[in-house]
Amino acid sequence: MAQPNLKMPVMRGRVAFIFDEVNFDVDQIVGVKNIKITDVDELAQLAMQAYDPDFAKSVRPGDLLVGADNFGYGHPHYPPMKAMRHLGVTGVIAESFSPGYWRGEVSMGFPQVSCPGILGFVRRWDEIEVDWEAGVVRNHTQGTEIPFEPLPQADAEMIEAGGLVPFLKRQAAQQREQKEHAHVPSDFRAI
Amino acid sequence: MGYTITEKILARAAGLPAVRAGQDIKAKPDFVLAYDFPGYTDVYFKTMKEDFGIERVAEPERFGIFIDHMVPTATAKEEELHINTRNWCAENDVPLFERHGIGHQVAAEVGYATPGAFVVHFDGHVSQLGTFGTLAIGLRRNVMEAFVSDTVSIRVPDTVRVNLRGSLRPGVMARDVFHHLVRRLGPSSCRFQVLELGGPSVAAMSTEGLQTITGLAMFTGALTAIVNPDPVRLDYALPRARKKLEPVSSDPDAQYSAVHDIDLSDLEPIVVVPPTPADTRDLTEFLGLEINAGYLGSCASGRLEDLRAAAKVLDGRRVKTGVSLHIVPTSQELMAAAAREGLVSTLVEAGAFVSSPSCDYCFGRIATMTAGQRAVSTGTLNVRGRMGSPDSEIYLCNAAVVAASAIEGRIADPRPYL
Repeated sequence: MAQPNLKMPVMRGRVAFIFDEVNFDVDQIVGVKNIKITDVDELAQLAMQAYDPDFAKSVRPGDLLVGADNFGYGHPHYPPMKAMRHLGVTGVIAESFSPGYWRGEVSMGFPQVSCPGILGFVRRWDEIEVDWEAGVVRNHTQGTEIPFEPLPQADAEMIEAGGLVPFLKRQAAQQREQKEHAHVPSDFRAI
Repeated sequence: MGYTITEKILARAAGLPAVRAGQDIKAKPDFVLAYDFPGYTDVYFKTMKEDFGIERVAEPERFGIFIDHMVPTATAKEEELHINTRNWCAENDVPLFERHGIGHQVAAEVGYATPGAFVVHFDGHVSQLGTFGTLAIGLRRNVMEAFVSDTVSIRVPDTVRVNLRGSLRPGVMARDVFHHLVRRLGPSSCRFQVLELGGPSVAAMSTEGLQTITGLAMFTGALTAIVNPDPVRLDYALPRARKKLEPVSSDPDAQYSAVHDIDLSDLEPIVVVPPTPADTRDLTEFLGLEINAGYLGSCASGRLEDLRAAAKVLDGRRVKTGVSLHIVPTSQELMAAAAREGLVSTLVEAGAFVSSPSCDYCFGRIATMTAGQRAVSTGTLNVRGRMGSPDSEIYLCNAAVVAASAIEGRIADPRPYL
């Protein structure tokens, strides 16, 4: 099992877009001039204008994005993927990721899957699924599957928890519990 | 099999006898650093109190906060952010360094670059503390974990080793070494790994040059960069160190995921062409391209050797009319040293606008460019909109190239001026 004992979010949907550019700078999704916009509806309408002006109309809840090598390189900001989540996108699968982008989006609880070979494995609008237990991405349209790289433990837990703050809260609760167990005096236990 | 310096530092920080690359651990940072910025520190302070009920940090001496962005403030809202930061530091007894200079440089000056220490920040340019054998990692938002608990959850990274040999020719600087690394190894070559610098030429390299190279490590995909501390670096860092730790180094039989050799004698000046730090080209390809602005400064460059190189080029010459050249020493300590050396007067007499240390020039908060303008810059980054309009352009290069280009009003080779 790739991510044992974790209830990872369902990732099943169509390939809504393939970013085949290596070192892709995600800020381009909304355009650098729009990067300071905080209204998520506005961001969602602006998203992908340079790539597919009809994107907001054609994307459906559950859809996924596919990227090339070193996806998220540069100086990534949060608004582009906020816009994507608002449009219903449930995760990104790429050949590989730039660490800064990866950390940022995982901390938002947004699933990211590193899967060497994914570019040659899917076509746009294929129905695909991440099988967390089996550690593979399945292409239901083509009837094929390809392994992905297991996530570091903390990253998997952060995605399962739904982001950084819920992850840290859970961890704090666990640590408190451990401490309480460790500090129960023996005579107290006897009573 | 031996251990890398990274594995040794993280083993100690995790309280384990040994760790290996690939292992998921919880490690206690010796120091937790941050500069105040909206959406970062203000959120950590609020979250600590409201979500985790932490009224005061347990070990204030483990923290360090810097006010280096929005210095000086331009709006009341910015000043309110700084007031909030000052109050939090005072309430928590946490050291605050305001207006000392750019935090990553000041961190070294005031002893957070303790050899052997594990340091976290949200900003990845903290990697430059690696010059002193400190493992310093930028975690982005995840640094919050270090504010609400003792440890951070990380995977022990693999290490890519780069051996430097030979020596740089005139007009070629540490900036060029880094940009050459991106070119030779690739912008994703060190993804999720540590870039370890070694080889026969490291000992002869200046500390400032190593700070430049390690500080930019993220553009190779690296989590950080590190140098095995040598006597020169220890002489600087140990008297300033905030914690008594045994410096550590990689074992001779440590395992690396890749080893590369770079001959410094081969290198030429490089310009990094917008809009990506991955596009590294020979300076000679872009000579003559008109510019409107020059910026010499940032956490990556703006130290004495950069100021000396610019002063050498600009001595007795003038910045071209219509070109704005901003020169911003990286810290107050460095600015005072530059003034004592007479560098500041040389630069000012040549027509440069010399400002006190601030991060604000690097991200376009001040000296903002408009559409169609073009800068040569020693800043950290050349993505669209970094120094103003998304339709302005940034060509990254070394300090001597910035100075020569400011004289000519177009991208110029500094070597005839040296």
